[in-house]
Formats: sequence, C-alpha cells, structure tokens
Amino acid sequence: MTAPRLEAHRRAFCLLLRLYPKWFRQAYGEEMTLLFTTRLERAGGRWTRAILWWRALEDTVRNATVLHRDDSEGGGLRMGSLTQDMRYAVRRLVRAPVFTLGAVALLAVGIGATTAVFSLVDALILRPPPWHEPERVVHVYQDSDDGQPSSNSFPATRDMAEYGEMFEGVAATAPWTVTWDGPAGLTPVDVEFTTSGYMHVLGLDVQRGRWFEPEHDVVGGPFAAVVSAAAWRSRLGGDPDVVGRTVQLNGFPVTIIGVGPERLTGTVNPLLTDFWLSISSAPVGGPAWVGTLERREDHWFLALARLASGVTVAQAQSAMDALAARHAELYPEIDRGRDITVFASRDVRMHPQGDAQLRLGGALLAGLALTVLVLACANLANLLLVRGLGRSGEMAVRSALGAPKGRVARLFLLESAILAAMGGAAGLVLTRWILAALPALPLDDTLGGTLELGVDARVVLVALGLMSATGVLFGLAPAMRSARTDVSRALRDDRRGASSDRGTIRLRSVLVAVQVAASLVLVLVTGLLARSLAALQTVDPGVDAERIAYVQVDWTRAGLSLAESRAAVEELRARIATLPGVEHVALSSRLPALPQGTTTTEVEGYTPPAGTNAVELPFAIVTDGYFDAMGVPLLAGRGFSQDDVAGGSGVSIVVSEAAAQRFWGDADPIGRRMRGQGAQEWSRTVVGVVADVSVGSLGEAPAPLFYFSARQSLGTPTYVLARATGDPAALLAPMRREIGAWRPSVLVSSQGTLAAHLGSTLAAPRLAARAMGAFSLLALLLAGLGIYTVVSFTVARRSSELGIRIALGADRSGVVRMVVREVATVVGIGLVIGVLVAALGASRVGDALFGVDALDPITFVGAVLVLLAVAWLAAWLPARRAARADPVEALRAS
Amino acid sequence: MARAPDSHSIPLRPVVYHILLSLMGGDRHGLGIAEHAERMSEGAVELGPGTLYRSLSEMAEAGLIEAVRSPRPDADPRRKYYSITSRGRDLLARETERLGRLVDTARAHGALAEKA
Repeated sequence: MTAPRLEAHRRAFCLLLRLYPKWFRQAYGEEMTLLFTTRLERAGGRWTRAILWWRALEDTVRNATVLHRDDSEGGGLRMGSLTQDMRYAVRRLVRAPVFTLGAVALLAVGIGATTAVFSLVDALILRPPPWHEPERVVHVYQDSDDGQPSSNSFPATRDMAEYGEMFEGVAATAPWTVTWDGPAGLTPVDVEFTTSGYMHVLGLDVQRGRWFEPEHDVVGGPFAAVVSAAAWRSRLGGDPDVVGRTVQLNGFPVTIIGVGPERLTGTVNPLLTDFWLSISSAPVGGPAWVGTLERREDHWFLALARLASGVTVAQAQSAMDALAARHAELYPEIDRGRDITVFASRDVRMHPQGDAQLRLGGALLAGLALTVLVLACANLANLLLVRGLGRSGEMAVRSALGAPKGRVARLFLLESAILAAMGGAAGLVLTRWILAALPALPLDDTLGGTLELGVDARVVLVALGLMSATGVLFGLAPAMRSARTDVSRALRDDRRGASSDRGTIRLRSVLVAVQVAASLVLVLVTGLLARSLAALQTVDPGVDAERIAYVQVDWTRAGLSLAESRAAVEELRARIATLPGVEHVALSSRLPALPQGTTTTEVEGYTPPAGTNAVELPFAIVTDGYFDAMGVPLLAGRGFSQDDVAGGSGVSIVVSEAAAQRFWGDADPIGRRMRGQGAQEWSRTVVGVVADVSVGSLGEAPAPLFYFSARQSLGTPTYVLARATGDPAALLAPMRREIGAWRPSVLVSSQGTLAAHLGSTLAAPRLAARAMGAFSLLALLLAGLGIYTVVSFTVARRSSELGIRIALGADRSGVVRMVVREVATVVGIGLVIGVLVAALGASRVGDALFGVDALDPITFVGAVLVLLAVAWLAAWLPARRAARADPVEALRAS
Repeated sequence: MARAPDSHSIPLRPVVYHILLSLMGGDRHGLGIAEHAERMSEGAVELGPGTLYRSLSEMAEAGLIEAVRSPRPDADPRRKYYSITSRGRDLLARETERLGRLVDTARAHGALAEKA
C-alpha cells in the first residue's frame, strides 16, 4: 500500500478512536493506531483490509461502550436514554454487517450519483452568475443570418454603448484560444478579448492590480491581460508578484495588469477563462482579430450591458430596435432585417441558442439520478420493513414490558438515521470521485471550454438534504408500523402475525413495481442509445478514413505574410510527399465531422427562403490534390490545379453535391457564380462538384460545403493530411520530425489518424450510452435485489404453510410456481407502467437518436425480455430454496 | 475508577490469560503481545486494538502487569513495554492449574478422542 493511502487509513482510524473516553485515547491512542496500521500494512489485499476495518469497527464500538459505562458508573454522568438507544442501534447494526454494508452501499450509490449530477446541473444551469445585482445585467445579441439572436460585430457593440440613457455601461467580450509558452511548455489557454467596461457592467472589481482602461480598447495600445483567479492559482502558482509579469501568448509578450475577482470564472458560466485580454491585444489572436474590430460582417463578440437605474428590459429592447433600424438604413447590404434582442441575464445560461438543449440534458440527467436514488431508497425501505417485521416479536416484548411506543419507534428511526448518515458520508466521497473523473470525459468538446466542478457548500447541503430525507422517510414507515404492532397478537403469533399485514404487503409490492418500471425505462433508453451509436459507427464519412494521418500545425508564431504562407504551404506539402510510405499529401483548413468556419455567401440566381440575401455555409481551404488524398470522388468538372492562381480574374470554387443540389437542383452547376456578402463582383466561379462528406458531425443529413484553393484564399490551411501506403499511424512521427526540421517556428498543435478523429467525434454519444448502461445495470441489480428480498421474505414467513403443502404431497415445482406467481403479477404491473412511461417519454429522446426510432419495437421487446429474465431469476432462487426445504424442518421451525 | 470485577479473578477471561502467558517469555509491547497470543492460540485469539489496550489498562490497574522501559535501547520509543508482576505470575499459575484439572476431569470422562 502506498504511503498516502496508509496515511488516509491512519487518519480514519484516529477518527474512530474519538469514540473512546478521552483519558483512554490519550494513554493508548498512539499505540493502538500503530498496531492497526502495522496490521493494515501486512494485510495482503483489499479484502483483508476491509475485514480488518470491520473488526476494528466492532472492536471499537464494543470496548468504547464498556469503558464509557465503567466511567459513568464510577460517579460520572448517568447516560441519557438517547445515548443508550444510540448504542443499542449501533450494536445492532454492527452485529448485522451484511445488512449494514448493503444498506450503506445502496444509499451511497443513490446519494452519490444524485449529488454528482446536482453538482453538474448546478454548474450548468442553476448557479446564478456571481455578479453584483445580476437582475440589472442584460445580454444583447444581433441576429445571425438566419434570424436567430446570435452574437455581435464589434462596431455594433460600440453603437450600443452610445445609448447612455439605457445602459450604464456596455461590455464586449469574445472567447478565443491561444497558445501560452508557459512553465509547462506550450499550453492552449482560454482567453476572452474584452473591453474596459466589463468590470463595471458585472459590478465587480479585480482582486489585485487593475482592470483595462479605455486606452486598452484600441489597437495600438499596450498588450495587457488580466488573469482569472482560478488560472492565477493553478497556472501561475498564486504568485503574489504576478502583476507586472509578462506572459508569452501566441509568441507575443503580454503584460499581466491584474487578477480577476475571486468567484468570476469567465463570462459564459461555468466555462473557465484563463486570461482576459484587452482589445489592444487583438494582434495576439492574429490579423483576423485586428480586422474584425472594424468589420460589421463578422459577429465575434458577446455583449453584456448594465441597465441604467430604473430602466426595464423592455425599454432597452425598444432602444435596440431603434439601433437595428438605424443599422438597416446605414448598412443595408449587411444589416437589413437583422434584429437586436435584449435578454435579462436570468433568461440566458450559456447562449439563447443552446440553453434549451442544455436544460433538457440537465433535466434528463437529474431525472436519471433521482430514479436511481428512488430505487435505492425503495430497496432500503424493503430491507428495513423485512427487518422490522422480523423484530415485531422483540418490539412487542419491549412494549409489553412498558417501553413507551415512541421509544420503540425511536429505535428504528435511530437505526435508519445512522444508516443514512453513513450512506450520505460514503455518497459524498463517491461524489468527489465522480466529479474528479468528469473532466477526463470529453465534455469539453461538447461545451467548447473547461468546466468548473467541485463539491462546494451547495452540493454538501443537497447531499445532507437527500440524506435526511431518505433516512427519515424510509425509517419512518417501518418504525410506525412496528410501534403500532398489536402486542398480544405479535407475541402469540410471533412471525406469521405480521406478515399477513395487508398494508405491508401492498407497500412492498408497490416498491417492487416501481423498481421494475424504472429499470425498464433505463434499459430501454440504453438499448436505444446503443443502437443509435452502432448506427453512427457504421456511417460512411465520405472520405477514405482508414488510410489517412493528420498533423495540425500552428502558423501564428512563424509570422508569415500572405505570400510567404502560400509558398510555405506548397513547400511543406512537397517535403511531406518525399517521406517514405506517403502516397498523397494535401493541406486543409478543416477535418471531416468537425464544426468549423463558415462564410456568408450570395449565390447568383438563388434567393434564400428568409432573412437576408446571403446564406451562411461551411467552407474548407484546401491545396491541390486534396480530393485524391482524402478519396473524395470528383463528380463533375475539375479539382484545383496550378491554373488556380491568386490575383487572376476570379476565384475557383468546388462545391459538394449537397450544395449543388440545394442551389441549382438538377441543373449543371459548373460555371455558376457566387460572391462574398457585400462584394460587388460575382468573382467566385464553380469549377467542380465532389461527393458529400460529413461536415459537422457523423450521421448528419448531407450538408453543403464549399472548397477554396489555398492558392487563392486569404486563410492558411492548418491540417497536413497524408494518405499512407500502409499504417497511417506510423507516418505521424516522421511527419512531426520533418516539420520540426523544416521550420521550428511552425508548431504542431494536434495529430492523429483520421479514423481515430472520427471515432473521437462519437465520444459524446458513446459516453451517453455508457453512462446510461451503467445506470441501467445498477437499476437492474437494484430491482433484482428488491424482488429477491420480497420473495425470500414471503417464503420465510410462509415456510410452515409451504412445509405442510409439501408434506401433504404437493409437487415441488408447483410450490415454486405458486411463490413465483405471486410476485409475477407485481412485476407485470411494473412492466406495463414502464412501457407506458417510456412510450410517453420517447419523443423527448428522439432528437438524440440516429438511425433508430424512439419507439423501436425490437428494443422495446428486448428490454422487456431482459427485465423478465432478471425478475424470474431473482424470484426463482429463493422459491427453489423453499421447495427444497425439508417439510419436517419447516414445520418444526414454526 | 470502578472496573469490571472479573478482570483479575479466577476463572480468567481468555484475553487476560493469553496476555499473561505471552509475558512469561519476557517483556513485550502491545503488538508483540497480540502477535504472540495469536500464534499461541493458533489464530483463535485475535486481539483488536480496543480489546488489547483496555485489558492492558485494567490489568495494570489490578497489578497483574506493569509498564516498563523498553529492554533494548534501539526500540521504538512510542511503544510501551509490559512486564508480568509476581501477582500476575501467581494468578496465571493458579488459572493454569485449574485448567489442568479441568482437562484431567475431561479426560476421565472420555471427552478426548481416543488415539488410534
């Protein structure tokens, strides 16, 4: 065992020692710890250690009890009856380790999963932003080209700030990723280009140094950064002299002028921002960031505003309507029909376009976790009921001897409270494990940033709440039942008396039905997700994924002019082509099935259904030979070649089949013209049509895609794609070496095979299917356990009756059937409820599925069969035991 | 402080008997006693930390054993060593005699399996 693990065990044991009287602990505590840890160190495996722990627990409770009693008898305080009951309850639990461990494990799983999910949902949906008077903060969005509130051009945010009677301040901020040459080497960090008004709008202030001044709002001013509180601690080691330090971002020196407010993680909660960069630092992001500050066509900025005193959201909205009208007049080709919308900050979580999905996901997760908790509690209640009934004799004796009924009920409640406390504590530990494992999951790709998760006071509070609720709720039922037990009947009848209690039977049956229904729903959803995933994995991406390796390069630090980068791209392509094992090489600005850049284009002779005269379409900048390298068939016209040169009469375009279909239908697309939004000339001419590839994701409907030649485009492709004669993975190292030897200033930012990349784009559905699978397995186990408990209980209580039946010559398999039949009705009801719930809820998951119907009959039948198999096994095991029992034994026992 | 009356009277609790017996071979610390007892009883007696130190505390108070300096200078200073007292030896002898008589009686009644 490692030293830190041993230390954790040691500390836990020290906690346990607190049960002893102080004098004893002081005299022997150290040696006892030494003894325990020595044994622990020698213990071979996990199980030996667990046994050791269990014995230590038992040993402590027993001896501490004796020592406390001795102390108090020696003239100390008289023990209160509550303490006595407590000790009694603890002793009972210690004496039944299987029951105790089982119950604690059930609660831990239920509470742990629910708390972890709460923490996630809290971070994503619930937790209010840490701003001052957030009700006065609003989000302002210009529409995208398809008429949805989206994001703003930088000039537009400056126009908004002119409405001083509406807004006390307006801030613009744009998230981006840059490479930091820090102590850990080259690291990608999340930044926001942010204006000087930001802190005032949020009503916060930096904790060290200062925030940006208006001099930072124009290009030409000093490069300045404010580091976020989290990044200051995690990335800069909490350096107290951080203000004034210089960091290298994308190769540019940027001065840190302040440390952000403690609780502010970034603009888009709960994504983490490492640095806020001033607008004057725009060159750090590249020439495009400098250009975008003047371009009304680009919408790269989010806008936040603080309402002036007494101004309502509606008033601000009408002011923005006026601004939108002004824009439409001044810049008709860009802003006609483009509305500006004001949202109260409580109505926006991450972004108006994504919030609905986020809430649905959160609700789905929370529902799942609660289902598991309900299942766990249902089982615990069952276990407690079984124990409670088994003890009805004991309780009746206590009552008969004069114990007040409240006292008897208190014993039960104490027991369940102790169980709930232990389960809650273990659940919190589990929560921390789950949350620690979460960042390793590819959530980042889905959300576009790093998530801040942790066990904070709110999470602990929720866990405590769940704990007490479960403890009281499910301790109370058996407690009240037992306290009510008719003394004389219970004593006369001992065990059988209570089992015929109709209420108890009904309660147990309902619990089993609920569990069966819930597990059926979970198994169904798992089945649907698995089938959907299987369908996604067989999707043809439209490229020859199996033979292609890619290396992504970062040109920023090379500092090349446009002409130089075009030459560099050709040079790099030629160098990689000489490597052994390379069949074709091309560069591209995007990978398949990865959402990336879009361009706003006008197509000659095509009118979009609504909105402006332009359409927003994804594009790729590729070199010659790209279609050969990727194995994308050319359907008409030609691919790019030496003839496509810069500065000529126009720009050549290759379009995907879906694009050709959308704009020109069955007509010949070759020779059709297009232009960038707002351009005068129809300068872009279609020269070729290629087959469709997955553009944004695998399994999407064929999406239009435009290709530009790298020789004619202003952008520089970053993905070097090599088609291998053999294993593509073997090309990665030589490619990297070649690039490093060629130009050390050109950095490699990612690499892999195309097949692996496509696989990784399925990470989210795969994760969903696995998580759901884990949940349903758990639910199945719980439901099985529930059925097993109920049947074995029934069998035990009816052992004499069954014994008589067998003695009188009843067929043993008939006895099994009889017992199983009793629970079969309950299981059947559960299945019907489950199918109904699943059918009603199917429409809600339908959007998340691919290639399988939400009401897919095969999955439904399969799930029902799985449930039946589990239920049958769980019922058959105890029933068979009953039928095998010796009738004489069974009769004598009663 | 009042103690359980039977911690040092005949018949001895098995724990007390084993502790005394293990100290006959020389002074030992707590862990040593626990291990010796476990070995002697062929694993039947396993002394948990609480049971061991509560018994040691009671036995020291009853004068059956006493805490002593460690016999070797290089011993772990955190570990307290125990030595059996004459009273402890006396009690151990009497209990062993009683057990011996008990075994004789048992044998006379044919309680031991006949050797083949």
